[in-house]
Amino acid sequence: MPIIDQQTLVRSVDILATGILVTAFLIISSKSLTFYVRLFAFQSILLGMLSLVIAVRYGETHILTAAVLTFVVKAFTIPLLLNKVIDRIRVRKEVDFSINITVSLIICGAIVILSNSVAQPILQVQRAGSLFTTKVLPISIAVMLIGLFVMISRKKAVTQIIGLLTMENGLFLSGLSITHGMPLIVEVGIFFDILVAALILGLFVFRINKSFETIDIAAMRSLRH
Amino acid sequence: MSIVLFSLLLGIPFVSAIVCALSPGRRVLESVTATGTGLTFLSALVLAHEVLKHTFLSSPNAFFYADALSALLAAIVTGSAFATALYSFGYLNAHVAAGTISAGQLRLYYALLNVFLFTMVLVLLSNNLGFLWIGTEATTLATAFLVAFYDTKRSLEAAWKYVIICSVGIALALFGVILTYFSSVTIAGSSSPSLLWTTLMIVAKKLDPAILRLAYVFILIGFGTKAGLAPMHTWKPDAYGEAPAPISGLMAGGLVNVALYSLMRFTVLVNKAVGHEFTSTLLIIFGLGSIIIAVPFILLQQNIKRLLAYSSVEHVGIIAFAIGLATPLAYLGALLHMLNNAIVKLLLFFSAGNLRLAYHSKIMRRIEGAVHVVPFTATVFLIGVFAVTGWPPFGLFVSELTIVTAGFTAGHFLPTIVFLVSVATVFVGFIYYASKMAFGSSEGRERQIDSTPMTRILLAALALLLLCFGLLIPAPLMTLLRNAATVMAG
Amino acid sequence: MNDIITNALLLILQLGVTVLMAPFIFGIIKKTKARIQNRRGPSIFQPYADLTKLLKKEVVISENASWLFSFTPYLLIASTLVIVILVPTVFAPLPFHWIGDIITVAYLLALGRFFLALAGLDTASGFGGLGSSREMSIASIVEPAMMLSIFAVAVTAGSTNLSIVVRSLSTTPASIFNPSHLLAFVALFIVTIAETGRIPVDNPETHLELTMIHEAMILEYSGRYLAFIEWASQMKMVIFLSLLANLFFPIGLATVLSPAALGVSIVAFVAKMTLLAIGIALVESTNAKLRLFRVPDLLMTAFILSLLSLILYFIVGA
Repeated sequence: MPIIDQQTLVRSVDILATGILVTAFLIISSKSLTFYVRLFAFQSILLGMLSLVIAVRYGETHILTAAVLTFVVKAFTIPLLLNKVIDRIRVRKEVDFSINITVSLIICGAIVILSNSVAQPILQVQRAGSLFTTKVLPISIAVMLIGLFVMISRKKAVTQIIGLLTMENGLFLSGLSITHGMPLIVEVGIFFDILVAALILGLFVFRINKSFETIDIAAMRSLRH
Repeated sequence: MSIVLFSLLLGIPFVSAIVCALSPGRRVLESVTATGTGLTFLSALVLAHEVLKHTFLSSPNAFFYADALSALLAAIVTGSAFATALYSFGYLNAHVAAGTISAGQLRLYYALLNVFLFTMVLVLLSNNLGFLWIGTEATTLATAFLVAFYDTKRSLEAAWKYVIICSVGIALALFGVILTYFSSVTIAGSSSPSLLWTTLMIVAKKLDPAILRLAYVFILIGFGTKAGLAPMHTWKPDAYGEAPAPISGLMAGGLVNVALYSLMRFTVLVNKAVGHEFTSTLLIIFGLGSIIIAVPFILLQQNIKRLLAYSSVEHVGIIAFAIGLATPLAYLGALLHMLNNAIVKLLLFFSAGNLRLAYHSKIMRRIEGAVHVVPFTATVFLIGVFAVTGWPPFGLFVSELTIVTAGFTAGHFLPTIVFLVSVATVFVGFIYYASKMAFGSSEGRERQIDSTPMTRILLAALALLLLCFGLLIPAPLMTLLRNAATVMAG
Repeated sequence: MNDIITNALLLILQLGVTVLMAPFIFGIIKKTKARIQNRRGPSIFQPYADLTKLLKKEVVISENASWLFSFTPYLLIASTLVIVILVPTVFAPLPFHWIGDIITVAYLLALGRFFLALAGLDTASGFGGLGSSREMSIASIVEPAMMLSIFAVAVTAGSTNLSIVVRSLSTTPASIFNPSHLLAFVALFIVTIAETGRIPVDNPETHLELTMIHEAMILEYSGRYLAFIEWASQMKMVIFLSLLANLFFPIGLATVLSPAALGVSIVAFVAKMTLLAIGIALVESTNAKLRLFRVPDLLMTAFILSLLSLILYFIVGA
């Protein structure tokens, strides 16, 4: 028996997904490293709330677990970790760009349009309509691609981590939207991998900062051919 | 029986890793790692034996599964790990003697080596495609610090690139996995075990072709990145070049095969669902692309380990090409080549490690007259070079010949000719550099102690194996290969 | 006959509400800001007094100025009044809504801005030219953002005519609160701040040459002319706020002619406007003025948000 009525549910999922997309855009348009981390945390909170809504609607415990994990791992632990890294390395806390904000925003606008057309064939599949969340799929693909774009166009090591994590958020959202999440054990494994990846990359940032005296990855160009 | 084998294969490396992480002394680390990897190898051989008898093994909850394909790969990977462990002792002790690494680093190395093995075995034994992904991502994480082992600027840069590029690639693969899951959920419902490979194979015909094709593109890019298919191979020369030699060897001999294994599983699934034309086209394009792109880098290379890395790109291309041909003979050739390539890469990276220890350089210009300085290493290195370039009577000659035959019989004339020409060109480059390294003037250099006896025995054994697989393949192995090829044919 | 009288009355109501309310909104903003800064601040009705005083004062015109200079204030007031006729405040549809739609509004705004920029250049004062160039470069991003964000709402209603859009939205309240509108609202809010020259885009209370935009342009104006320009920009604020209020929260808006409905509508409108004005004051108090080179980034964000809102309409629907 549904606890929330369908109308409110659909609305709130739409709005939360939109919020996730908007945070991705805000990441693109912001300049401070700490802000990047805060936006990522906020995005993860929205993602957690979205999974919470779906979990409550369908009474599925595995999504509930995923929601809790999202809050604990992505919204709390990883941001804490990254903030610690940023505090300790004492770099200029501004993001360096290889593509400036205005052009980046336009490119990301194009990415959203592209994602919509990429998602269409998937949405065409029979029975896809049986889940009301499927229409969120284009947004999830867009978030993924924007994450990838952050990794390409922002030069600080920390921003690459944020880009990767944003990609993961997009992936998680896509899973939620078309399949209501992967089986629980797989989901837990994925979260574990992400946490470890963030940890390792964070440690690498320390070491890179120590060896190169910068975390600008453009400075890493000793390996050629 | 199956339960025992699965727990041994996964449990031994896991326990060894924990013991290594906690243990204080070098001796303990070495003996634990040696017994651990050795026993795991042994279990893999038993697994292969069991699989020959029973076709497949499955854990009661169907979470783990092994057929001829996984058993073959498990044997290759655990064998490679065993060889790597044995080689590591001599290689790292030389570092310890020179005082370049600390006890903490040593402990980290052996612990992570075991974790690395664990993650690879996890991939090979998982029936759940989600866990296939998790294991693959875990291999990246396990090897991150191993690549950055020397903690120099160059190794950090290589490790950063490696982790970032592979994580992005593997993230795309996850999207492919999600799409696959989606296509199966829409048929079977989310309550059923829709992500199990065995389940998917049963319902393959009913899966949505459009979704599966899209999923396969992401899978190919994702696991292709991990395997080092061009153009996603850019991390490979850096990582292989900067990691310690045994780790480079295990990555080229083990990890590459694990990534290819994941790719193969999905290929089989997609082939069954939508026919093999789609995957064939993609695999042949990416395979040939990798072979061709490696050629100029091999011809104009200065660093011996980067040379080997590009050779790895080339051979991954060859295997992908063979899978793309999609005939039973080609599958047989691909599997045989995976085996031979693993052995030859171990041999080459290990002897390159020895050369590095002797000359303190990875730059080929500075390595001259090796036959006079380190005669044994130089000999096995030359054997490796002849083997890797596909000369008879070594194993790779047989496997490449099989693939070429399969290519012509399948009617892919042009690609096969391109393949032949590239392999011939690579041969020229390799022989040029190898002969200079081996036979150049050794003026001003003393003859050196040529590694430890254990290392020498290991290298000789690897060379012997290459020769053996070139002359005759033992009957049980041949049966295993044939069965694995049958699995791949769907 | 009856129709003509109703229409005339409605028109007077519409004009009256906007024209008279304009200084009041400014008063509220000023008062709120003062309160937040722990000051008592001027009375809410201070702007009325300012305008009356300016109207009585003598006009001083630079000897370099041409006819453009004295023509612009009249044109500005006229164009703004036409916009007022088109943007619904308390009742929809407005009697003369067929004159033009949102595109007309945008062009009328551009017309006023164009002449103001010309007048800024006309006096040959350095500041005037500086203000004009800044105003125009900001406008180049703000205008498309404004159009797109209103279009996002217009597609829901299926018309670009503001009166029809507002009426159709207020009769189907279910379609109001959706992601697409949410983004469009944020975008239009940023546009409002930029168009009316508030912090963080511009600061209406400073005459610092490094930062001022709108004030630099009208620096040479005095007396009656200045009163016209100020009044026009206060009306512009009301226009934008009523767009925000009626496009996104058309609750309480009268769509039938009855005293009760109109009464409710007027109360609701004043309440919404006051809330929005306080909102603007809050934004102004909690943000610092952006460096001029950062302004395009903010406006670009507004533009992208409005673009997104339009795309999202097609992705997730209304």
